[in-house]
Formats: sequence, structure tokens, C-alpha cells
Amino acid sequence: MSENERMVDPTRMQEILRRRLTRRGFLRGAGTGAVGISLGALLAACAEEGGGGPEGGAAVTPEDIFDGEIETGIVNFANWPLYIDKSKDAEGNRIIPSLIQFKDETGIEVNYTEDIQDNQEFFGKIQPQLAAGQDTGYDIIVITNGPQFSALVRNNWVWPLDPNRRPNFDANAAGWAKDPSYDVGNKYSMAWQSGITGIAVNMDRVNGEVKTLSDLADPNKVGKESVGMLRSDMPDFVMINLGIDPKTSGPEEWQEAADWLRYQRDQGVVRQYYTQNYTDDMTAGNVSATMAWSGDVLYYNLWLHYDGTDPELPNLQFVFPEPGPDGPGGALLWIDNMMIPAEAAHPDAAITTMDYFYRPDVATMVTEWVLYMSPVPQTQELILKDAEKALEKGWKGYANKLTLTADNEYLYPSDEFLGKTSFGREFETDEEYNQYLDIFSPIWQGE
Amino acid sequence: MKSGWVLPVYSMLMIFYLTIPVFLMILYGFNDLPGNTERQTPRFWGFTLHWFLNPFQDPQLTEAFWRSIKIAGGTVVFATPIGALLGLALGRYWFRARGSVNFVIFLAIAVPEIVLGSSLLTLFISWSQSAQLSATSPTLGWQTLLLSHVSFSIPFVAVTVRARVAGMDRSLEEAGQDLFATPVVTFFKVTLPLILPGIFAGALLAFVLSLDDFVISNFVFGSDKTFPIWVYGATKIGLPPTVNVIGTYLFLAGVVLALLTAVLQRRRV
Amino acid sequence: MASTPELVVEPGAPIRERRAPSRRKKLVPYALLAPGGLWLFVFFMLPVVLMLGTSLKSGGLLSGGGFQFTWEWSNYGDALSTNAQFFRRSLSYSAVVTVLGLLLMYPLAYWIAFYGGKWKSSLLLLMLLPFFVSFVIRTVQWKFILGDNNPYFFGFLKDLGVLPQDFHILATPWAVIAGITYNYMPFTALPLYVALERIDKGLVEAAKDLYASKWAAFRKVVFPLSLPGVFAAFLLTFVPATGDYVNSDILGSAETFMIGQRIQTKFLTDLDYPAAAALSIILMIGMVILASIYARILGSEEAANVATGGV
Repeated sequence: MSENERMVDPTRMQEILRRRLTRRGFLRGAGTGAVGISLGALLAACAEEGGGGPEGGAAVTPEDIFDGEIETGIVNFANWPLYIDKSKDAEGNRIIPSLIQFKDETGIEVNYTEDIQDNQEFFGKIQPQLAAGQDTGYDIIVITNGPQFSALVRNNWVWPLDPNRRPNFDANAAGWAKDPSYDVGNKYSMAWQSGITGIAVNMDRVNGEVKTLSDLADPNKVGKESVGMLRSDMPDFVMINLGIDPKTSGPEEWQEAADWLRYQRDQGVVRQYYTQNYTDDMTAGNVSATMAWSGDVLYYNLWLHYDGTDPELPNLQFVFPEPGPDGPGGALLWIDNMMIPAEAAHPDAAITTMDYFYRPDVATMVTEWVLYMSPVPQTQELILKDAEKALEKGWKGYANKLTLTADNEYLYPSDEFLGKTSFGREFETDEEYNQYLDIFSPIWQGE
Repeated sequence: MKSGWVLPVYSMLMIFYLTIPVFLMILYGFNDLPGNTERQTPRFWGFTLHWFLNPFQDPQLTEAFWRSIKIAGGTVVFATPIGALLGLALGRYWFRARGSVNFVIFLAIAVPEIVLGSSLLTLFISWSQSAQLSATSPTLGWQTLLLSHVSFSIPFVAVTVRARVAGMDRSLEEAGQDLFATPVVTFFKVTLPLILPGIFAGALLAFVLSLDDFVISNFVFGSDKTFPIWVYGATKIGLPPTVNVIGTYLFLAGVVLALLTAVLQRRRV
Repeated sequence: MASTPELVVEPGAPIRERRAPSRRKKLVPYALLAPGGLWLFVFFMLPVVLMLGTSLKSGGLLSGGGFQFTWEWSNYGDALSTNAQFFRRSLSYSAVVTVLGLLLMYPLAYWIAFYGGKWKSSLLLLMLLPFFVSFVIRTVQWKFILGDNNPYFFGFLKDLGVLPQDFHILATPWAVIAGITYNYMPFTALPLYVALERIDKGLVEAAKDLYASKWAAFRKVVFPLSLPGVFAAFLLTFVPATGDYVNSDILGSAETFMIGQRIQTKFLTDLDYPAAAALSIILMIGMVILASIYARILGSEEAANVATGGV
């Protein structure tokens, strides 16, 4: 709670009242609160940095934001790399078929940028503008369930979605995509894709089998300085494998996981702690094993290294960690969610876009390319149908890939499979999260 | 002078070492990657002109590239006059604050870029959050990029012009004044043409610095990526050969400009 | 040009000055300074002051409570103690880089200055050529060259059995040092060249006339005279190298984390603005002290002149 005095001087009051006349102005005025002029100009200007008001933005309801009229202009959609279908047009320019189809059907143009590499980094980037009640420049962002997600919701830095504007979602979303534990009622988010964090093993470089967490710390199996770890996922991943449920973990359990990570580091096996850039070293064969996301490895095996004959490319295998000496094993499950940041300029167009991706045919276009868990179960059938069509055209290899996609348990998991995975930790307050960070950040920052 | 072979050979080796990445960058722009992939690997597959003929196939890359060019252009437009005036003042006149101003300029050049970048970000954030001034605050994007680039370029332009001004022959100005030219006319007809090569060199420096800047831009770009920032992001996923091609074009342009400057500087006394 | 009033005095006539010193003339330099000075004030000095202010705050970002100004001097103590190893690492890397750079570039600069003849400018241009390629691209090229399995370099040597299979330079301090040295070579070479070029060749001739060997002539004449250049090169390499973070980011690993990366992660990832600002200020003060010593010796003008390579 900010300790600054909130003196409202008369001219400021007038300004606020005047701005309330516009709907958006209302939100902005309410959001930024009444920051009084208490001390000298300069110090007062810096005194309240990082917080628009005592609790971030003001709570709003969907009626305040969505009026059913699609705004003109471009919808700015920020996403992670390699997370949407991709192709080339006649001149060889890179295009996104699903978005082109979207534009043909609705006239809405989407400016799709792959600006997100890491939840915390991206959050850090948009946070100043959110806190100042400014437009971040994005209408749709994709954030994994976790501390940043919770922080965005907690501070009203994302807008609630209009439940009446997502018919495709209501009709087609999978059970796990509706009412997830971190966003009951899908008030703020709709799942984009989901995936699992496991281990990618470079079969050419390891000695013996790498199947458990302990193997990742064993220099005899993985060699020195050749293991990759994912900064954001490793705390939860390690906890799960040690038999700790991240959702109920506290500082003691975190310390246990951190101790294991430091032990691993002391063994000299770690090459680097990656964000999402592990794929480069992974496909270059620079690591013997690395924490990895299911879709990336699947993509590699289906598209980059399909027939396994290129001597340059390593043979990678995705491993779901098994029980071992350190614990019962298990993998981290996460869901990437579309959200609308506060003060977005095109919320109506945005939610139309978001809902579009819940149409089975569109979802299929995306999943066939992205190879992560789709929130639309019908895609499985549709992919098989596409495989049949490809077979008819004589594209055997392509048809085979599609069939493999549809049959893959990481895309269409059984309940039993899902039961072996777990969500990561979520945070209600700053203090908790800072504590968590203080325990784990030093590990990858070299301390 | 009889010279042994050691030194020349060593020097040639060094020069070769210095230029290897340039050669490789240009060479791999011709890399005929197999299949549909755009991700470069160290292996060279064969020669193709494909990338050189179509470097702008990724809209994100294209946008970032043109943005870099525009911002560099804008930087030159603003930083050159401001810096030149500064350089003129410092090189030509004596005034009490001169020592301190020189020192501040030197500091601006010597301070590590990361300090400049982080402090500029701090400025922009505070500005946007201040109750009184937030209406005028620039958005994190091309506006802050431009402001930041101009800011770090001004000292360089100033120093370049100052050097030129200091080396200028004053008697020419005096001659002008003896011919009853007013100070303004003297400036435009005598001083300015003499220091023009310095101004041009400063402008070139500002352009190159802006185009190549990464660290400072990385703090203030918001969502408006510049070419170096785009390249940096792409290194995490896989660098397409088009980056090499664009890099080659920029390189050639830079060399041409540098040669031009050298020629110009030599022609003026 | 200062004007000298000449008094033409005729008996009984009023005193007329031939050219009155105008007050306006005195203001000319200040007028010229105004735009630049104002700009630098707002966008250089003010941000530094603001950062100083930020470094004295405390608080957290996530809940929207923001930071409060609390004269939190302990931020500095904390910054130094938590980051001591990063400072040490950065400083030691820079020291190695600078020494390496000097050793490598000195002979080259010497050769161009003394034996370049009419090719001097072209050789200089050749030496500066890498500078025209984007910094990030240059570093990434090295990442390719030094790749673990580069079929023309390490991969080849590994296939031959000369190198062990898990040999790698990337993600080690050596790659980072090599990268930084390379990237700052022009900064190292140019001041050396400028200093060496100015040396009067006649002095070397004189030494030879006194039967000095080439090596002795170098040791006793050339090298001492080039020391200002060495000093300049040292500073111009050491200072930026210390704050560098791109090389460590692209070529290094968690073990090579430098102070620049710390500042960056603290700012952009951890969102711990006060700690990041404190670190920045400490780095800045350190580098400014070094640079000031240098400026004191040479004079600010000359120092900045050399910094821009005597363009």
C-alpha cells in the first residue's frame, strides 16, 4: 500500500471530472487515481514510480470495455516465436495463412509480432506502461499461467473478457481450457496452446539412458557443461521431480529444489540456463540433454529431422521424466493464455480474433504447424482427415507426419497422462514471489 | 629500410583475422540452404543468389530494418545541427564554462552505454508517470528511440566539429571581417564552408552510431524493434541468411560513405 | 575576435570608439551552446540524477505499490556485496581483454604507422572494416565460427580426433574474452596508430645512426614516445569492455555473467529498479574516475578527440 498522501487539488479534480465524460477517460481517471502534488516537483514526480494507484488499475467490467463495435485499425497480437502457422506466398514472402483467412472473412487485420521470449522479460517490458495507465501497444498478449499472469490479473492490468462474445470458445473448448484453476470462468483469458516441460535428450551425445532428474546431474551420463536448463521452468520442474507439489510449496521446499540445482551446478554439467533460446543449441547439437518444451522437440522430429539422415542434426528424443533416485518423476504442465492488456486500443476486434482461433478448422491450421496441445479437441479428427486428403494426393510423407501428429500423446493426452503432470506455483503476493526469486535467480545469474 | 618478414606477415594475419567475420557474413549470404529452412548452420551448402535478390521476405525484419534507417536519418537531422553548434562554441570561443562543458561532453562519450540506456529508460518512465508532465511524455517506441539516439550522438558530433574548428585558420575569418562582412555573413561564407567536412564527418558518425546501436536501444524500444534488436532476437531462434544480406548491404553503404568522407576531408584545407 | 576600441581624440570632440565591444558578442558562445547544452541537460544529466534518485528508493513493483523514496543508502551496500563477484569478473575480463588487445594490435599499428607509406589510409580502412558491420552481427558470426560442431573448424578437429568430443569454447569465459577483444579492436588500435604515426621518424634514424639495433631503437625511442597512445588505448578498451554484456550474453553462459548483464536483468527482468540503478551508478562512478584521470592528464579536449579516433 503506497504511503504517499493523496491530496487532490482543485485543478486536478476539474481535470478528472472533465475526463470522466468519455468512457475511456473514465477508466483512465479512475485507474490512475488521484496522485496529489505533495513534495517538490521532481521528487514527487519520481516518488510514485511503478504504481498508478495503490492497487494498480481500477476494476472494470466487460460492459465498460466492449461495445460490440469492432474498432478500425490493426489488432496488435504479441505471441511467442514459432507459435502460429506459417507459410510463404507466391513471391516467397512469409505469411500467416490463418490470419489471412481471418482478414478475408472479417476484414480485421492482425499485426502479429513474436515479441515474447520469456514471461518475466515481457512482463517487465509492458509493466511501466500498464502501471502508468497507458496503452502498451498490444491488444492481445499470450502469457503462461504463473506469477506474471497472477500479477496482471491482481492489478487489473488486463481487461476482463466479454463472455457473450466468444461463441466458438463456448462451443469447442476442451475441458481443461474451460475454468482452469488459475482463471475460473475464463474471466481474463482463453488458452492459446498448452504444453509440457520435459527433457530433450541428444541420443548422439549421452552415455546410457537419460530418463530421470538425477541423470541430468550425472556427469558420466551427460558429460560436463552440456546440459541445458530453463530458467523459468526449472524450479517447478525440479520440485515435481523431487516429489513436491509446487502448488502447495513454501520456502522450505523451494530451498530443497534450489539445493538440488546448486548440486547440479557443482557437478559441472550445466552448460547454460536458457530462456526460450535453448532450441538453437539443442538443434545445433551443443547440448547432450536439456529441459525442453514438448512441441519444440516434436516439431524438430517431424519437420527438421524427419528421416534422421542428416549427419549435422542430432537425434533428439523427448523424455517424460521417470521415477528415479531423487523422486517420483513427473513433468510440468503449463498453459499459454491469450489476454487483453488494459488500455488496449482495439478490445472488440481483439476478442473476435481470439475467438476465431477456437473454430475447429482454424485451430487445426495452427496445431498442425505448432504441434502443441490444442484447446480444441476436434482438431484431432480434422488432422486425421487432412492426413487422408494428403494420402489421396500422394503426399505420403506429409500424410504420415499428420497422422503422427494426431496420434501423439503430448497433443492429445489421456487423462492418465495428464494426471502425471502438474501445474507450477502461483503467487498471491509480491513478498512470496520476491522470496521465490531470491532463492532461484542467483542460480542462473551465476551467484 | 630493410624489414624482416615477421612484422608484415603478422600484420597481414591480423588484418585477415579482423576481417574474417565480414567475409563470412558476406559469404553465407550466398548459402543455398536445403529445403524450406531458413535457419543457418555453419555448413555451407552451395551458392545461390536467392537471398540477395529477395532479402525482404520477412515483414518483421523489413519493418525493423526500415525503422533503423529512419531513426538513423532522424538522428542525423537533429543531432548534427545541435552538435555542430556545440562544437563550434567549444572550438572557437573562450568562455568561462568551457572547461566544464568539455568535461561533460567527454563524460557523455566515456560513460558505459548500459548506464546511458538504463538512465534514459528511467527518465522516460518517470516522465510518463509524473502527474504534471505525463501528457507530453514520449511513448516507448520510435519516439524514445529517436530521442535516445540523438542524445548519445550529439557529443560525438560536437567533438568532431570542435576538432575541425580548432584546426581552422582564423586569419581567413579575420580577412572576411576586414572586408566589412558582418559576423553572420562571415559565418556563412567563410567559417561554415571551412568546417563543413567536419560537420559531414560528424553527421556520418551519428548515422553509423545510430544504425548500429544495440544496448541503449534495447532499453527504450518498447515494441518498435530496430534492426540490431531484431537480429539479437533472431539469434535465439535461428538466423536467416537474409540478415547476412542486409548486413552486407549496410556494410557496403558504410564503406562508400566512409570513402566519401575521406575524399571530402582531403580536398579541403 | 576581441575588438579593441580605438579612441580617436580630438581636442574638444566627443570620444568616439571605433568598434564598440558589443555585449551581444560575448553571448554568442552561450547562444551556440544553448540547444546542445539544454538537450544534454535533459537527456544526459537529468536521467543520471533521476537514476540516483531511483537508487535510493525501496519497494516492490508487482502489487502496484510502486517505489518510495526513502534515502535507502543501503541499496549501495547491498549492491556491492551481492555483486562483488560480478564486478571482479568484469574487471578481470576487461583487464585480460585490454592486455590481449594491446599485445595484438600494437605490432599492427606500428607496422602501418612506420611501414605503411602511401598505403597507410587504405590499410587503416582495412583495419577498421569490421566496424562497418553491425556489432550484433559480428558477435553472432563468432558464435558460428566457434560453434561446437562447426564442420570447418571444431567439428572438423573433433572428427580427426584432435579434440575431445565435448570440447567447446562457447559458453566459456574464453569465448567471451575473445569476443570482447575482437569487438573493441578498433578502439585499441586507433589510439595506438595515432600516437605512433605522430612520432618523428627522424628520431629513429638518429638512433640508428648511433648504432642502436632495431630492437633497441624501438625499446628506447619509439615505445616511450607511444606511451600516451598506449594509455589511451588502454582506457578506451577497458572502460567499455567492463560494461559490455552482449558478448557474454551471446557467447557465454551463467558462469560468465558480467556486471552489464546484472544491470540489465535487474532492470528488465527482476524489475528491481533501485538495485539496478545503484549498480549502474556504481559502475558509472568507477568508469568516470578512470576516465577523469585520463582526461586530467591529457586535457578533456584531447581525451575526447582521441576517443572519437581523431576523426
